[in-house]
Amino acid sequence: MNETDREQLLDLLTRQATEGLTPAESRKLAALEGSDDDSFDLAAAALLLAEFEPTEQLPSHLRSKITADASEIVAANAGEKAPDASVVADRKTPLFAWLGWAVAAAAVLALGINLSMTRFGVTEIANNPPPAATPTPMTPAEAHDKMMAEPGMTVAKWAPAAKTGDMANVSGDVVWSDKEQKGYAMLRGLPKNNADASTYQLWIFEENQGDKTPIDGGTFNVSSDGTVVIPIDAKLAAKNPSMFAVTVEKPGGVVVSKREKVAALAKVETSVPPEA
Amino acid sequence: MPESILKRIAAGDRNAVEDCLNSYGGLVYSIARKLLANEADAEDAVQEAFIDVWKNAGRYDPAVASEATFISMITRRRVIDKIRHSGRRISADPIEEIVQEPGDKGHKRIELSIEANEAAEAMKTLRPEQQTVLRLSIVDGMSHQEIADATGIPLGTVKTHARRGLLRVREALGLGGIIDFGNKEAAI
Repeated sequence: MNETDREQLLDLLTRQATEGLTPAESRKLAALEGSDDDSFDLAAAALLLAEFEPTEQLPSHLRSKITADASEIVAANAGEKAPDASVVADRKTPLFAWLGWAVAAAAVLALGINLSMTRFGVTEIANNPPPAATPTPMTPAEAHDKMMAEPGMTVAKWAPAAKTGDMANVSGDVVWSDKEQKGYAMLRGLPKNNADASTYQLWIFEENQGDKTPIDGGTFNVSSDGTVVIPIDAKLAAKNPSMFAVTVEKPGGVVVSKREKVAALAKVETSVPPEA
Repeated sequence: MPESILKRIAAGDRNAVEDCLNSYGGLVYSIARKLLANEADAEDAVQEAFIDVWKNAGRYDPAVASEATFISMITRRRVIDKIRHSGRRISADPIEEIVQEPGDKGHKRIELSIEANEAAEAMKTLRPEQQTVLRLSIVDGMSHQEIADATGIPLGTVKTHARRGLLRVREALGLGGIIDFGNKEAAI
């Protein structure tokens, strides 16, 4: 790193930790080596704790909202911890798909939410709801299927970035909601990776960041053959995505990809407008 | 030693959510309420901060910082975003009160975070102007320009104080980070 970059990095990391950065400055920082250095923010947090005594209690209504938010995200953490959990051996088997929707429908019914679903005979299930006492969180595969069935989602299909090689048969789809800021990528045909040597990383090309610095959508590993469903973990707010990409990176991922090994691309061709 | 709450969250243990809220809910809410004047903004920031905590729990490294510091870092980022977005900053207490030495909060600090005590000690070694700038920006959420306006310290000097002071605290906490910025500047 040259002296100019080092100076700029020091300035931006200090400002990020003390007064925050503008979007343009955040992009500038993201392009610098060492931009993911948390040490300035951690030092500022420690100073805050040193100088300030928390006296407030979390209000109960806010606690309820936070707990509700946590349910799906923390369940998805378990899925990320063991990628095989979201690997679907044969997603085309109708029984499997039906069971997945049955679980989802039971959860939804138990919560008393009236949703209109038409896929996989869910309406029929609704007429004879199973005696589900505890709502079961959806797996990433189920959540993906559910989002795919909803109106107003941004959807794209994965295609291999190269026509030859071990990634030439990649397929699948990706679904994203601007409103909910969440989505799922379903990929078939990605080769298994050695997590000690490399990781897959998902990227979102969208309006706010531009094509040079797409948003990091999270890293994942593939340890089994089959279909993997990944919850997209957008590190910044994504707006109107035009393309998604999967690259191969070093373990832990990178802040800015050199795009040396692109595994798959999914261009958004049509974005269904949300229902009024 | 009990298993880290954040590690349990990263492993998908939903019971850890309650433990996390019991341990840090008041801290996160207090930070947001201190730095954001508008209660609705504060509640939004708290909700968003916890979503970030759930998503980023796997990145927590107990060898680097305590859970309280890690969660406070995430909270500050969300609160700063909110301040920048809304353009509303809490109306500060009189400047003379803010820059005074804080009272002894040592006991509370120990409960919350080991780094907080180390940071407090590091703060004492800073020049008074550096302490003032860090206190106004980090504890009271003022921008560098606002600090310059409020104190009469030139903006460039405010930036220098913030940078050198934070480098010194970072060094005292042993937070080397990825890039070595050296000790020379922090020592000035």
